[in-house]
Amino acid sequence: MDVNDIDKCVKCGLCLTSCPVYYEICREPVSPRGKVQLVAASNRQNLSISRNLENIFSQCLMCGTCTQNCPSGVRHDMLFMRMRSQIVHDFGRDWKKRVLYHFLSHEHQLQLAAGFVKFGRNTILEKLARDTKLGNIQIKNMPRLNKVPFRQQVPGVVEPEAKPRGTVLYFTGCATNYVYDDIGRALVRVLTTMGYRVEIPGEQVCCGLPMFSQGGFETAKSNILKNTKLLDRPDDTAVIVDCATCGYALRKGYVDILEELQADSSAARRLSSKVKDISEFIWQHFDKLEPFLDQEKPKTTVTYHAPCHLRNSQAVGTDLIEQLLEKIPGVDYIRAPDTDACCGGGGTFFYDHPDISKKIVDRKIKNATGTGASLWVTGCPECRVNLSGNLKNPESLQVIHPVQLIEQSLK
Amino acid sequence: MINEESKSQLKQVVGEERFFDDPEEILSFSYDAFILTSEPDVVIYPITTEEVSGIMKIADRENIPVTCRGSGTNISAASLPVKKGIALCFTKMNRVIEVNTQDRYVIVEPGLINGELQKVLAQEGFFYPPDPGSINVSTIGGNIAQNAGGPRCLKYGVTSDYVLAMEVVLVSGKIVRVGSRNVKDVTGYKLSSLFCGSEGTLGIVTEATLRVVSIAESHRTILATYDDLEDTANTVADIIGSGILPAAMELMDKTVINVVADASGMSLPREAAGMLLIEIDGVEEAVEKEMNRIAEKARDNGARDVTVAHTQKESDDLWAARRLAYGAFARLAPNCIVEDVTVPVSNVPKMIKATREIADRYKLHLGILAHAGDGNMHPLIAHDPNDKDELKRIEQAAKEIFETGVSLGGTLSGEHGIGLAKAEFLPLVMNQDTLDLMADIKKTLDPKGILNPGKFV
Repeated sequence: MDVNDIDKCVKCGLCLTSCPVYYEICREPVSPRGKVQLVAASNRQNLSISRNLENIFSQCLMCGTCTQNCPSGVRHDMLFMRMRSQIVHDFGRDWKKRVLYHFLSHEHQLQLAAGFVKFGRNTILEKLARDTKLGNIQIKNMPRLNKVPFRQQVPGVVEPEAKPRGTVLYFTGCATNYVYDDIGRALVRVLTTMGYRVEIPGEQVCCGLPMFSQGGFETAKSNILKNTKLLDRPDDTAVIVDCATCGYALRKGYVDILEELQADSSAARRLSSKVKDISEFIWQHFDKLEPFLDQEKPKTTVTYHAPCHLRNSQAVGTDLIEQLLEKIPGVDYIRAPDTDACCGGGGTFFYDHPDISKKIVDRKIKNATGTGASLWVTGCPECRVNLSGNLKNPESLQVIHPVQLIEQSLK
Repeated sequence: MINEESKSQLKQVVGEERFFDDPEEILSFSYDAFILTSEPDVVIYPITTEEVSGIMKIADRENIPVTCRGSGTNISAASLPVKKGIALCFTKMNRVIEVNTQDRYVIVEPGLINGELQKVLAQEGFFYPPDPGSINVSTIGGNIAQNAGGPRCLKYGVTSDYVLAMEVVLVSGKIVRVGSRNVKDVTGYKLSSLFCGSEGTLGIVTEATLRVVSIAESHRTILATYDDLEDTANTVADIIGSGILPAAMELMDKTVINVVADASGMSLPREAAGMLLIEIDGVEEAVEKEMNRIAEKARDNGARDVTVAHTQKESDDLWAARRLAYGAFARLAPNCIVEDVTVPVSNVPKMIKATREIADRYKLHLGILAHAGDGNMHPLIAHDPNDKDELKRIEQAAKEIFETGVSLGGTLSGEHGIGLAKAEFLPLVMNQDTLDLMADIKKTLDPKGILNPGKFV
């Protein structure tokens, strides 16, 4: 991205209300336009890096809605990440995030840590956790960790059940691996039923987005290079993701960050074109799924939450998912008025700014509950943590991944 | 400069959490959507009328300039604090107080976003007609201050036609109420019209009672494309001249069509020289009949294609794309100036021809966008603010555009306001005695000149 991109902003302000954070707190400095102007002032040496500036730039969900809707084509996302990078450079990072990023960039240590947290989560901390919150979420509402990481539950290659159609690579992401093995199992069953041989590379590491979206470009670089090398096969084997955020990283983020670091981005570019979100992939090959669907399935009411990193960063629009849902037997789809609005999770945002995050997620929940649906599907595990963690009655509205819904509709 | 004692008194009025004087906040109030910049000393977000009154008492006593602002989307620098002082921002004072569809009014606070009001009203089958391009961002307070218009004002009229009553905080801190809930009301001066469009120079609106209208039974969105811009303009004058009154009638030239297509990703007729986007509404039978008449007129005037949006979504997308035009123009160059000259509709063809000629003569990258049905022209000029020579040419061209507009019976601004951008051109449309009258009104209401100082009056 050209540094002079910032001049494209004519300060029209159309981004203000597209920003979920501005919508809640109505203060110009945290609006996308305000932040762009702060970056411009900082570039002109008219504004120094301060704790206040750090706080302002932390008030961004990195949802990309401003970038997506900007008529002038300003890349807010890159400008803000770069500013965060500058702030980290000058101020360092708080210890909790340093620990988190350390684990995310060292896969084997992450496995050990996940084991430890699970132990603590299930026993000693249980009583303590009952009334404690992590960010805006009650600890008791946080999902339990997988007993065994998903990638250790399945073989490296799962052979197809139907007539072979080819091979796909499955990038599980950390969420499926450590938290939501139900998504991983459903995905593998659906793809193998459709006739795909599913290969799950064991050496994959965290996609790196948690680091680079906070400005940790260099920290994320080794993860980016490792995954790119692993997934960019010489042929055009599709790479399937079940996490909107991982998809954003693999499809768009890697190229952006490598270019920002002035590193070779050619492999990341090739990889980018092969990555498919699972819902998108199923939609594009629906004919291979259709014969295996149970057309007698009883009706269930379903509503949808469109993850920002799916609709904004991967151009997998709500209309595509809605068309897919309509074709799944047993689905009685009801649209919520704010299907396309951010859930307020935003990486560590729910932890850094619990009050703002809570307001955003509560409105989402109110509208979704208002549809009367019993299932709330969303193709992003992090949205799932945030939405289900904030539901008052998680029994009456269950949050699941679209691929789980599809798996439940198989014969 | 505001002394420390006044600062601490101001802080007491709203509390610590809505008073700011840090460099980041100050910088964020140093601009609006126009090209100039100027920083305030402090930023305050009031949420009640009493707070505004309390702030004004201190400002009045201490002679502190006060510049009100909503979302800061205006393009005439009307909300720029050019004399520093307090930037009074209303975005947090944004409640809908009452919706009364029986008596057809709503009562709202000034920071409410126009588009949010529309959402509330749509649930009741009603709408609030003024629809500036910034409808989804700009506030009702800002709309009132600028007497905002928009595409459908062609049929429905502008903001001042919808303000029934308002609560206003005067410079002294006194709170007055003008108007009532009645459409018919000749009880005393129509003071709401004085404050509406005063660009924050006379008083501060802290509550507004607005007239609302029920949504028409049927709508059609028509798209007519032309190989000749003159034919496009002639169609406008012909349709309006024949007595048909569409809700909205937007004209775009080739440059604007392409920029909007780029920004929205919509497939628009990129090779056309001109395009009309027309909205009609009413009872089904009338709409059908009007649509046919409009299509006939368009073809008579040389339209090569006339199509109708098939779905509500298609129609919504077309109008959403139209609203991107201003920001989208910045794709052509680092910045964009949008003019606002308005002429009687019969002179729209002449005005467009003259504008094109002036732009070519000064070698400007100019696109023509217009709420053509009411003669409200928005030439968009893409430019690089660092190119001094170009800026000079723009200045001269703008002056010629204004002079041409006025000579055709038009006026300086249809809906964007005067602010700083056009202050020097006021004598083109007002004689000295008229300017003096405005100055006298200003002096009466704001003797010390602390409300939005440095602007057109």
